[in-house]
Amino acid sequence: MTRHDRWLVWLCLAPTVALLSVLMYYPMIGTVIESFHQTSFIDPEPKFAGWALYEKVLSSRDFPEIVRNSLLWTVGVVALQNAIGLGVALLLNVGLRGQGILRALVMLPWVLPGVVAAILWRFMYDPQLGLINSVLLRFGLIENNAAWLADSGTAMAAVIVAAVWKGFPFSTLIFLAALQNVDREQLEAATIDGAGPFRRLVDVILPSIRSVVLVNIVLTTILTFNYFDMVWVLTRGGPQNATHIFPTKIFETGFGQFRFGEAATYGVFSILVLVVLVGLYVLLQRASAERRRTA
Amino acid sequence: MKMSATRRAVLLALQLALALVVLLPFFWMLSVSLKPPDEPFSIPARLWPESPTLANYLTAFRPEFRTYFINSLIVSGATVLITVTLGLLAAYCFSRTKLLVLSALLSLIVLAQMFPHAAIIIPIYKMMRAADLLNTYASLIIAYVSVTLPVAVWMLHGFLAKLPVSLEEAASVDGAGPVRIFREIVLPLARPGVIATAVYVLIVTWQEFLFALSFTSTREMRTLPVGLNDFIGQYGIRYGELMASSMMVSVPIIAVFFLLQRYFVAGLTAGAVKG
Repeated sequence: MTRHDRWLVWLCLAPTVALLSVLMYYPMIGTVIESFHQTSFIDPEPKFAGWALYEKVLSSRDFPEIVRNSLLWTVGVVALQNAIGLGVALLLNVGLRGQGILRALVMLPWVLPGVVAAILWRFMYDPQLGLINSVLLRFGLIENNAAWLADSGTAMAAVIVAAVWKGFPFSTLIFLAALQNVDREQLEAATIDGAGPFRRLVDVILPSIRSVVLVNIVLTTILTFNYFDMVWVLTRGGPQNATHIFPTKIFETGFGQFRFGEAATYGVFSILVLVVLVGLYVLLQRASAERRRTA
Repeated sequence: MKMSATRRAVLLALQLALALVVLLPFFWMLSVSLKPPDEPFSIPARLWPESPTLANYLTAFRPEFRTYFINSLIVSGATVLITVTLGLLAAYCFSRTKLLVLSALLSLIVLAQMFPHAAIIIPIYKMMRAADLLNTYASLIIAYVSVTLPVAVWMLHGFLAKLPVSLEEAASVDGAGPVRIFREIVLPLARPGVIATAVYVLIVTWQEFLFALSFTSTREMRTLPVGLNDFIGQYGIRYGELMASSMMVSVPIIAVFFLLQRYFVAGLTAGAVKG
């Protein structure tokens, strides 16, 4: 490589590096700085506050609820989305006629803009006008109109279902690609040895797509943990905080109440919780790999 | 492999169930959007309107909606253009230069796609305010380029790394400079990867909600997702109009996706499965 080429390389990289440094990396530090400064709507000039905001957030009644909700929401969506995503990928990989069209159609919910999906589900859940209550009433599964989103007992489950419907195609897409790499000969050998569909899945397919499954779980965990649109449009975090997660709390505190410092403190906590969550997955995966090796 | 008739029937039934779960909400959205405003929502709800009409679409296509639509087009279009250009330049450097410092840099760039937007939005908002960019197209475009670049670099890098370098080496031996090689050899070969990345960036920016909600404050600057969210409050009970607006927001992006789907699926999964 000539000196001229090297100069060209850095020139090509400069805009990307500059943008990401200023707008992605600096804000990660900026959030921490912000979390030590207090501002309010009446007094917008930031003042150093030490650990005051951390104490305030940690001792607030909302905080444990938000941590619990965030974990419930993330684990619920990730588990269902990947389980359904894998099931659908297997179903669309059996070689039936017409599955090409179905493979394309299945992507529809994922392409649908998040706010549209949320509005659509808000309507589906509508106690009087929604499709869900109409169907359930007709089949006699419920006796009265249920207010799925307004009842703090069902709101979180309702939000999770909507998010899974929107998100599972992404998992399906990745799993379908991974399934193309499963060794056909190994599958056929297993069939000849008398392995049924379930044994083939557990003994041949799952081991060979293990790494893709893990990457997918980590990726969807991060995306779900940070997903704002669905919860905000469906419930705004209500009723009584029942669906308030970190992103909705940060937005509400920062842009609803203009308490930027406190919002940033929630931001710092959200990053910590996410790091712990992803770390746990990686540890679990290591431990199970270890077990397999010694077994 | 031959399948037994029962197995076939079960699989077919499962596929039908899947199609129903995926399509029913869409069908419902379409059906309600075509209901005449005076046809009541009968209980239990009717699946298809008695006399379908475009009335809701005509009402929903009001001036604000047109403004939001144009804003979304401008912001998404500019983002796609800038992100793909910068991403392609960066990805090309990463895939053709073997330097330790560059592979470390690539990891840092890819890592940035994991950053939680809600957690970093306050400092970004303050920077935009300091630069006097709040409530402008520029604030959204700059933010969108930043959040989509990591994925774009990652997708394009995965794609370029698979292209054979022999053509470029031959051209180099023949005396072509790096700029000419890039324009005449790499660019045409990279087209499918570029299209895949552009579609991905478009899908992400067309629906982006958090930044648009936080950075825009007047109706003149709102994008479609924020505008739709406003409609809930304003026309809460008029679901017909809301569904018609939702259709008009979704159909363009769905059309783009289906037209370019084969590029997109290959481009996205190549990177994902490999990494």
